[in-house]
Amino acid sequence: MNWPENEAGGFLGRGRYALATDRPESVDALRGVVIERTARGEAIYPQGGRTALDYGGVPGLPGVAIDTRSLNRVIDYPAADMTVTLEAGMTLAELRRVLAERGQRLPLDAPEGDRATLGGIFATNASGPRRFGWGRPRDWIIGVGFVTAAGELVKGGGRVVKNVAGYDFPRLLTGSMGTLGIIVQLTLKTRPIAESTAIVWASFDRGDDAREALARLTTSATRPTAIELLNRPAATAIGEPSGLPAAEWTIAIGFEGARETVAWQTERLAKELNARDCRSLEADSAEALWSRLVEDSAAKRSDYEQVSIVVNARRSAVVGLALKLDSSVWGVQAHAGNGIIRAKTLRSEEPSAIEAAVSELRRAAVEAGGNLIVSGRPEGRYEGLPIWGEPRDDWAIARRIKEAFDPRGLMNPGRFVGGI
Amino acid sequence: MSVATSPASKSTLFQELARIVGAEGVIEHRDELLVYECDGYVIEKSLPDVVVFPTTTEQVVAIVKLCGRLGVPFVPRGAGTSLAGGTLAVGGGVMICLTRMKRIVEINLADGYAIVEPGVVNVWLTRALAGSGFHYAPDPSSQTACTIGGNVGTNSGGPHTLKYGVTVNHVLGVELVLPDGSIVRTGGVTEDDPGYDLTGLIVGNEGTFGIVTRATVALTRDPEAGRTLLGVFADVESATETVSDIIAAGIVPAALEMLDQPMIQAIEQAFHLGFPVDAGALLLIEVDGLDVGLDNQAEAIAEITKKRGGSVQKAIAWRTRKEPEYVAVWKARKSAFGAIGRLSPTFCTQDGVVPRTKLPHILRVITQIGLKYDIKIANVFHAGDGNIHPILLFDERDEEQVKRVLKASHEILEECIAVGGSVTGEHGIGVEKMEFMPLLFSPADIAAMIAVRAVFNPEGRCSPSKMLPTGAGCVERKTPGRMASA
Ligand SMILES: Cc1cc2nc3c(=O)[nH]c(=O)nc-3n(C[C@H](O)[C@H](O)[C@@H](O)COP(=O)(O)OP(=O)(O)OC[C@H]3O[C@@H](n4cnc5c(N)ncnc54)[C@H](O)[C@@H]3O)c2cc1C
Ligand SMILES: Cc1cc2nc3c(=O)[nH]c(=O)nc-3n(C[C@H](O)[C@H](O)[C@H](O)COP(=O)(O)OP(=O)(O)OC[C@H]3O[C@@H](n4cnc5c(N)ncnc54)[C@H](O)[C@@H]3O)c2cc1C
Repeated sequence: MNWPENEAGGFLGRGRYALATDRPESVDALRGVVIERTARGEAIYPQGGRTALDYGGVPGLPGVAIDTRSLNRVIDYPAADMTVTLEAGMTLAELRRVLAERGQRLPLDAPEGDRATLGGIFATNASGPRRFGWGRPRDWIIGVGFVTAAGELVKGGGRVVKNVAGYDFPRLLTGSMGTLGIIVQLTLKTRPIAESTAIVWASFDRGDDAREALARLTTSATRPTAIELLNRPAATAIGEPSGLPAAEWTIAIGFEGARETVAWQTERLAKELNARDCRSLEADSAEALWSRLVEDSAAKRSDYEQVSIVVNARRSAVVGLALKLDSSVWGVQAHAGNGIIRAKTLRSEEPSAIEAAVSELRRAAVEAGGNLIVSGRPEGRYEGLPIWGEPRDDWAIARRIKEAFDPRGLMNPGRFVGGI
Repeated sequence: MSVATSPASKSTLFQELARIVGAEGVIEHRDELLVYECDGYVIEKSLPDVVVFPTTTEQVVAIVKLCGRLGVPFVPRGAGTSLAGGTLAVGGGVMICLTRMKRIVEINLADGYAIVEPGVVNVWLTRALAGSGFHYAPDPSSQTACTIGGNVGTNSGGPHTLKYGVTVNHVLGVELVLPDGSIVRTGGVTEDDPGYDLTGLIVGNEGTFGIVTRATVALTRDPEAGRTLLGVFADVESATETVSDIIAAGIVPAALEMLDQPMIQAIEQAFHLGFPVDAGALLLIEVDGLDVGLDNQAEAIAEITKKRGGSVQKAIAWRTRKEPEYVAVWKARKSAFGAIGRLSPTFCTQDGVVPRTKLPHILRVITQIGLKYDIKIANVFHAGDGNIHPILLFDERDEEQVKRVLKASHEILEECIAVGGSVTGEHGIGVEKMEFMPLLFSPADIAAMIAVRAVFNPEGRCSPSKMLPTGAGCVERKTPGRMASA
């Protein structure tokens, strides 16, 4: 089987095209498509909102895209139980609308919520600033239904918030990048919408000052739900539309909750932080800033050869690692309270210089207990940079799990760690 | 599965194990082994051939390799407080007891984690963290006895899981010795390591993947303060409606625990806290967080309580969780099973879960089932999670009564499934509830689980006959589970 040379059948990402794009309208239809396609030896590429198709390795085998967006119903929303069961092709924006009608929300961030689907968000375990206070998709999933390469519908977990019957397939599937099966159904926990939101924007001239402030935040009397560290270019892009200053380093601290607790915290934090400049945004202006904090890290530029990376490390290492990235080349935004750094190049740069900087940073991240993945890069370049970072011990087990679900290697081949 | 039961192979086994851990680390005499014939689920018993107490990961590796060479099954055990028979040595073999691997390896507040060996008792970590401003959030009622290895094994919950989540939400990584003796390290001190969430998969595997020899757990900030309210109600219905109303009002309490009348009476007899013994139900409602927001929440809760015809008997404002009144109330709650011991010679508890909104329904059904089978049932449970723990009181010497208890238990759990719930919220499937798995999961689901187990444990030598139905007939159960101790 050959790779199609044009986009008639749809995109798979990373410069590869699909043989065709199927749009099943029911789980049974989707199973049928999978059975039929895999019988012919075609690979299966699940797709949601297609906001992150370039994320991961190059598709490894010719195959079809399966567009899940027609599977977009709410199956059950018992609001008083604070759970919702839905089909995975639903967009985040649509789910937000449904939950808001009952005063609830899913406190997760993902860029392009009007396109990104819950299936895509859970397949990638996507996260944003709120993860400091609310965790990641893995903390909100209680049940999953997925279709394997054999066309079988497999379920795990259930619809109640507490349940230890059977192995934890909901978590196994979260972050599995579509390599174990197509997620078709999710049961999630929900929370009440916060009464009030605020973001404190604190400016620092030196990395050391930011480091000290971050350390202080781990024992602050306040309880933020987001702690973001921005270098100057990132602070400019994110803060300027709100009229906020962009210092060498900025820490944006988010608060959500009852009105009186949010007000108390913003006031208190200003006293705790030894910032050169500290201001706070509330209500609508906080929401607008918050959404730029979510969107900016994923905003992609195609007018130059952009490279983007994600580093995970101990949280105490964040500033040290961020300082390694030259702020004339890199925009840096870190979910600093969680040890996650996202960075992207701001202009075309000599590839060898980028490669050297990224390799050096990866070594340092591994030393700090973490890793570095390359989340975006121009095609045909930077072949020397491993997308999924330094190989880990546990990938051997990961490979065996993959074989257990997909012995022929037909689900999203080539896209995940260790060539899975 | 061949089992080392012949005297000759048994003595080889003993000698070889002694060579690995020293003679003081192996038990083989029958009278000493009796302690290990069951765990908190005492109904099915099976003597291991030997119990071995490794002190290092290397010793665990050597032990499982030896078992492989000799073709002997093995089962990991922590404190043995499992209520589902998770540690039962089905078919004998080697029991690997992790209680001597009990070091807290590292506590790192700056990076928010601790690394512990599996035999560390849950409350030891809490104690080691006292005064630091951090704690380890999962707090099963058995926390003074159970180990973190066992908590990882069962994905334990506790009263505070409503707000803080269960064990899996707090484990960052594990070290696991596979049955072939290889060591796998998943996750670590950082989040988002690229790859599958193997840590998430391993938590709650009930000892069927291998032996957890280390866990890295996340530490949680202590709340600044809290309010703990004791709501008194005429009946269980109004108490459960109150639970739903609190959630509907947008309040997410840290804990929402309920006791019904038989339970209140048992606790009052045991602890003399001044609980109203004629009340139909009692709700323990706890909110925590920043002090500045708590009075409003407590008032809103009191308001809802009154609207549902209840009254607030106590409202404890606390900061440290050490306040005597606070300690007394929670001691009573966490010792509920012990207090029941005074009411009845024997009892068994179930661990069903229903959607919160179905609580009034399931409690009505439990009452009906109790009447139908003429069995006294007391209820103490995690109401906020919909996780019920009906306790069935009986006399194990009365065979006919015992049969009724088994039937009643079964009917309760079937009703949990019927309303969209589960048969276990935190105690696990173990050997006790294997027969329910086909009611919860399809053949495809179970086949997938068996395939995943085979990735870790291909020969089934680790914890045989647990969790997943094998197709072979179940041991016929003649008596229900009963609490060994509390
Ligand atoms: C350029 C870019 C980089 C990003 N980098 C990161 C990052 O580093 N870290 C992070 O946390 N988030 C990242 N995100 C965010 C996140 O991964 C996506 O936004 C996510 O929400 C994708 O949703 P989607 O529906 O658009 O998925 P798609 O873009 O359609 O698919 C994304 C991936 O998920 C798989 N997938 C989609 N739906 C299903 C399904 N139903 N079942 C199984 N698999 C499915 C696809 O096969 C594909 O591999 C990035 C987003 C973009 C645009
Ligand atoms: C009075 C009482 C109250 C309880 N309250 C609660 C509660 O509130 N919430 C709750 O969730 N549970 C509760 N339990 C159940 C029990 O305490 C928990 O399941 C606990 O996690 C078991 O820990 P343990 O150390 O006793 O493990 P064990 O009982 O020894 O083992 C439990 C399971 O884990 C496996 N295991 C143990 N150690 C390891 C290891 N190192 N590696 C791999 N597998 C291992 C075993 O094989 C077994 O399957 C209660 C029990 C009692 C007796």
